[in-house]
Amino acid sequence: MKRMETDVVVVGGGATGTGVIRDCALRGMACVMIEKNDLASGTTGRNHGLLHSGARYAVNDPESAAECISENRILKRIARHCVEDTGGLFVTLPDDDTEYHKRLVKGCRAVGIDYEEIDVSAALKIEPNLNSGVLTAMKVPDGTIDPFRLAASNVLDAKEHGAEIRTHTEMVRCIISGDRVVGVLCRDNLNGELFEIYSKIVINASGVWGRRICETAGVPLTMYPSKGSLVIIDYRVNNVVINCCRKPFDGDIIVPGDTVSLIGTTSKKIDYDRIEELDVDDDEIEVLLAGGEKLIPNVSRTRVLRAYSGVRPLVSRSGDVDGRDITRGIVLIDHEAENGVKGFITVTGGKLMTYRLMAEWAVDLACEKLRVDVPCTTHERPLPGSETPSNRPVPHYFDGISKSVLGSAHYRHGERMDHIFSKDKKSYGLVCECEMVTAGEVEYALKNLCVKDMIDLRRRTRLGMGPCQGELCSYRTAGLFNDLGAADEQTAIRMLKDFFEERWKGVKPVLWGDTLREIEFTYWIYQGLFGLGGVPDEDEPI
Amino acid sequence: MKFDCIVVGGGVAGLTCALKCAEEGLRTAVVSSGMNALHFSSGSIDVLGFGGDKKIVYDPFDDLHEFIKEHPGHPYSKCGGVESIENAIRFFREKIRENGPDLFYNGRRNHFSVTALGTLKPTYLSQKSVFNEKLKEVFSRKPKIALLTFEGFRDFYPALAAANHKRTPMIRDCELVTGSVALPESVTTRKNPHEFRSIDICRLFDSERGIETIAGRIRDAAAGAEIVGIPAILGILHYDRIHHRLEELTGALIYEIPTLPPSILGMRLDNALKEKYAELGGLLIAGDEVAGGEFEGGRLASIRTRNYGSEEIKADCFVLATGSYFSRGITSKFDDMKETVFNFQLEYELPRNKWRRSGFFDPKSHPFLEYGVKTNDLLNPFTQSGTCVENVFCAGAILAHYNPVREGSGSGVAISAAVAAASRIASHCRRG
Repeated sequence: MKRMETDVVVVGGGATGTGVIRDCALRGMACVMIEKNDLASGTTGRNHGLLHSGARYAVNDPESAAECISENRILKRIARHCVEDTGGLFVTLPDDDTEYHKRLVKGCRAVGIDYEEIDVSAALKIEPNLNSGVLTAMKVPDGTIDPFRLAASNVLDAKEHGAEIRTHTEMVRCIISGDRVVGVLCRDNLNGELFEIYSKIVINASGVWGRRICETAGVPLTMYPSKGSLVIIDYRVNNVVINCCRKPFDGDIIVPGDTVSLIGTTSKKIDYDRIEELDVDDDEIEVLLAGGEKLIPNVSRTRVLRAYSGVRPLVSRSGDVDGRDITRGIVLIDHEAENGVKGFITVTGGKLMTYRLMAEWAVDLACEKLRVDVPCTTHERPLPGSETPSNRPVPHYFDGISKSVLGSAHYRHGERMDHIFSKDKKSYGLVCECEMVTAGEVEYALKNLCVKDMIDLRRRTRLGMGPCQGELCSYRTAGLFNDLGAADEQTAIRMLKDFFEERWKGVKPVLWGDTLREIEFTYWIYQGLFGLGGVPDEDEPI
Repeated sequence: MKFDCIVVGGGVAGLTCALKCAEEGLRTAVVSSGMNALHFSSGSIDVLGFGGDKKIVYDPFDDLHEFIKEHPGHPYSKCGGVESIENAIRFFREKIRENGPDLFYNGRRNHFSVTALGTLKPTYLSQKSVFNEKLKEVFSRKPKIALLTFEGFRDFYPALAAANHKRTPMIRDCELVTGSVALPESVTTRKNPHEFRSIDICRLFDSERGIETIAGRIRDAAAGAEIVGIPAILGILHYDRIHHRLEELTGALIYEIPTLPPSILGMRLDNALKEKYAELGGLLIAGDEVAGGEFEGGRLASIRTRNYGSEEIKADCFVLATGSYFSRGITSKFDDMKETVFNFQLEYELPRNKWRRSGFFDPKSHPFLEYGVKTNDLLNPFTQSGTCVENVFCAGAILAHYNPVREGSGSGVAISAAVAAASRIASHCRRG
């Protein structure tokens, strides 16, 4: 069996894991990150992408609120190209009590969130689609954050500082020697190969999957997975984040993101053995749409593009089984102190917003154990693509290259767009017209951003995320994978099939109206015209 | 305005029906809202490609006897028998030939057309630039084949086609090469030369000079292949001449492969149908939509359109050929669906989660494709109150109880139902 050695193994390629690997690499440690699927393919990529101001927690959980506003300010600085500083509103719906508004004001003041109470008429000027019957409004420094971009940028920086990244690589179990975790046994999910990575420390940053990782090290971790579902509507119906001014409930927030808006979020407790089944139930969709409509009445006339759900990794520290003690805060466990197992750290709980802080805590602990005396710099050092303080003007490449093509690349990759466009006009040929993804961007992502298949590519570029959900661009992309040597022909065709099956998961629950029209068209093309479903995966005659 | 027959919908079903009505001497109008599904079709006509368990059908008309018995609600069961279906397909072929492409057919048997992914699909009629006698004969001799695309054309990837092509019995033992052909510099300097779609490349063949230039490059790229497959881009109007010239200049047999829309092959059929229909004196009201109808005594008396406003357009008979979801014949919402124009009864299921299966490429396909307007044996629809509307006939994808994709029957059903409806309308009108 193949065997590798390193200082730190990070398990999990979500926001936390990618944050941890970057922090390790920046502090000069030899490190390897493994992720069983793709970067941000779990909970990280399955939320509303809200850059919290902390106001949502200000009334009930001031500690989380304080973490949020502090990280909010950091991320606006270090992750400019992953963040949109949209601002946010809290509004009291006509049927709600305005008392909560007062409590929220008090909470924000206590935590230090820059809020501003404004007239409803001023709120309607900021957000014309807003329900005009709202009773109160206040501005908060909410924004949006793209979790896919964030994870990819962290990994890019980690790689550039010597880290090794292995996506589609699953941890089978911890390797134990005496009272110490000395490494991990892994399986490459692309070819099935098993191999070992020996390390001084294993950091378990696998979110809701963390319990399974702990089990292989023989330590318990009590998790209460909570499923949250969201719907995506096909237009950006709002430009600022809109929150209901009341205690959080299902369908109380609309977050703009790229070209769409997202309505969130439900909260349903699920059994731990069902964390992989991420079906969105019809009643959840009904609740979310009804909630969204109360904030923005236009929602009822807007196409619903997809629905999806993620599982929050809620942890009970005291082992309390009825879950009252469940925290949404950061959970850092030194298993040496807690369970007598050396070389093993778990960092979980928390939220996308606090990924960097979680990483900092975990890596501080690892450094202490390894006697590495290098301080954390991730709160100061910009991510690749966000280096220049202000948005620099988009460079001019050729006549005829449209501003929106350059703008989209810049929006997604920041200054790294310089690596996307070249003198070769081929680099700016559009592949995905909905999201303005060019052949150059596809090639850049393939070479630099750990892309193994078309689904990974979607997370790096938004290819296939627009209104047509990959109708035309997916075939082109399969062709491009093959042209660029990233997949042989059979693999490219299998990827194409997988891509549609993956898109279908999110479309299925919202299959009506224009979404059904689009799907019928896609089905005609790929099944009727291309016969894609009938192509056998294995090398057998047709 | 007063007509004998008004056809709502200008797709292959609507146009074929209108053409047949016009030929029967009826004063006919078609109301069409936009581009039809031919624009993203294969441009071949499928009658019946797959039986139960996805079994390939070789003799569609023979198999139809059994098929009709097994599927009593299927539109094919309402078209006046297998002989009428065969006649309808023949009618279509003959009419298309008068103003459009000559369609190849393999006697009464299906032949196979090549998809952009290199798989083979059973079909009944294909344009001769797609499949023909000569190709059939040379293919059987295991020739060297080249699959080529054009540089900067985004919508065809010969390597992907070749990989599957190699797995088919017909091609397995052939030498297969792939390549791409550079487009003339006169075109490539104009805009980004990497964003071409079929329609852009199509125009290159408008001049003899263009044909000669490209023919030379095809010959070079084909490296001595006897047969050359290229994406379907050989012109919307002069495809016969272009195909012939290319074969002459390259010395190879050339076949077109349908790929992503816009479908040049489909546009040829669309043009041919419209031209023939116009020649027969039919009226095409394009870019308009039917806004509703007036029912009198259980019959549809007149319709209103968006552009004609309150002006009533009367007719003895009407045809509903508005297509399914994509063409907006059926409108669906969160918890229901309805027929868009007249709110006729639909055959479908509730709740919504029954509309589809859990895998996108599930071998059984999706139930929503089989939903449509409920009709009697004569293709007449029913109002919500249950009245059968005897002067309205339905044709094409608006009909319930068939799955065009799974059965490989889309255009066959459209044509058969259209011709059956037209014959019924003609005898209706003659009876007065």
